[in-house]
Amino acid sequence: MVAMKVAGLVFSPIIAVLTGLLLTGASRKMVARVEWRYGPPLLQPFIDMVKLFFQRAPSHGEVFDYGLVISLSGSIVLLLFLPIGHLCPLGGGGGLLVIIYLMLIPPLGIATSGGEGANPYISIGVSRKLMLGLGYEVTLILVLLSVMSEYNTISILKVVQAQSESGWSLFSWPLVIPGIAYLLIMPAILGVKPFDVASAPQEISSGSHAEYGGKYLAFVTVGGGLSEFIGVALFVNLFLGGPSLPGAFTLPAGALGVFLGVILFLVKVAFVFSLNVMVSALFPRLRVEGAVKYLWGWPALIGLIGTIVVWAL
Amino acid sequence: MDRRQLVKWLKEPLKMSNKYSLHVVYFCTGCGIIEIPPSITARWDAERFGVKPVATPRQANLFLITGYVSLKTLKPIIRTYEQMPEPKYTVALGSCPIDGGMYWDSYNTINHLDKYIPIDGYIAGCMPRPEAIFTGITHLWTLIDEGKADGYERYRERYQEYRSNQERLYGQLEWPPLYTGRDDDV
Repeated sequence: MVAMKVAGLVFSPIIAVLTGLLLTGASRKMVARVEWRYGPPLLQPFIDMVKLFFQRAPSHGEVFDYGLVISLSGSIVLLLFLPIGHLCPLGGGGGLLVIIYLMLIPPLGIATSGGEGANPYISIGVSRKLMLGLGYEVTLILVLLSVMSEYNTISILKVVQAQSESGWSLFSWPLVIPGIAYLLIMPAILGVKPFDVASAPQEISSGSHAEYGGKYLAFVTVGGGLSEFIGVALFVNLFLGGPSLPGAFTLPAGALGVFLGVILFLVKVAFVFSLNVMVSALFPRLRVEGAVKYLWGWPALIGLIGTIVVWAL
Repeated sequence: MDRRQLVKWLKEPLKMSNKYSLHVVYFCTGCGIIEIPPSITARWDAERFGVKPVATPRQANLFLITGYVSLKTLKPIIRTYEQMPEPKYTVALGSCPIDGGMYWDSYNTINHLDKYIPIDGYIAGCMPRPEAIFTGITHLWTLIDEGKADGYERYRERYQEYRSNQERLYGQLEWPPLYTGRDDDV
């Protein structure tokens, strides 16, 4: 058990960073194929990463550096509370409540760092990001409340465990309603196309990332990949049963089972992420008030109905 | 990616990654910018070469100047170039940045752009078609490979000369010099 925990502490950030970067590359390729282009190589984000670490980029001060560190370490701590397959080093303590709190830290770190950058586009991007966060977190908290009260636990581990016994929540009544609400707000959590108001390159020069170059941009890209991974992995854990197979199939016990569980989890993450990429390839960017209007509209209503139904039944 | 490239990647990751990840900041001067949208979108798709447009000079390492440069636009060009992180490359499109082109006797147009910022390569033509831009990009790859795309080093070494050329046009510039000759230059 201790070996499992240590393995989780070491491997889950590595798995998440690599998967996040690979998913970024895959999304660029997928968007290209939707637009009938050939697209960049799958490993393009890794090539960019190597280049960025070799560049000589200026810093804008100490807060500029430490804000990035806060943002990235917030993402990594959040990852340790999130089960990746059977790897869940800190999954036992705190559970979903900790995740709600920790999800705020990465954007706040970027905001702190951007304040030192003193670029007007950064402040616009940060304020848009916080506005978008206000938009989707209403629904997100309603969804998490329904899941917690349906399974009578705040532990994300127990939610995953219960689903491996009684079937995936997305295909069970009444949790299908909050599941749909989560799917509707997921592009906003990931910050992909219809909701990329905070980092719009054409409008506000990529917003809060405007002053980052070289290794700073590399860290920001890694952090972006991590937060995309976290947004999808939370959905897979809560609604698609984490590493469990559908129906009566079970994974073998032992090390092989752990390995297959992680692989199955990552396949599910890739599938859900590609749904979001399709949405982002098809829809143009909303204005910030349009995005908030959408997020406080149908998704919040469906989330509210889901919460009421879960409480009533 | 073939096996010979893998050896190259291990030997010179700096050159290889700079070659295959050119993030471009476009300076929309003159008529050349018309050729950029088709070359980065579905028709010619520059992204398959790793060429990607970015929004700010901080994130870019390739600077495309797409046409004639007037006195007014040269100032932002210099400032954009100085904000890019090294190593950085500059390519100028069309005849006008080479020797003035059809504007060679104009009262407010620069004739030789490489007096003011270092240029690593020109793509001649009036205007070059997207195919010519891709030929230019692949030629830039060979220049990076051979270490000949060293404009940013020239700018550092001969900064006084470039700066005095810039100040001959504008008088005193309102921003401090990029390189002061001290060790703490970034």
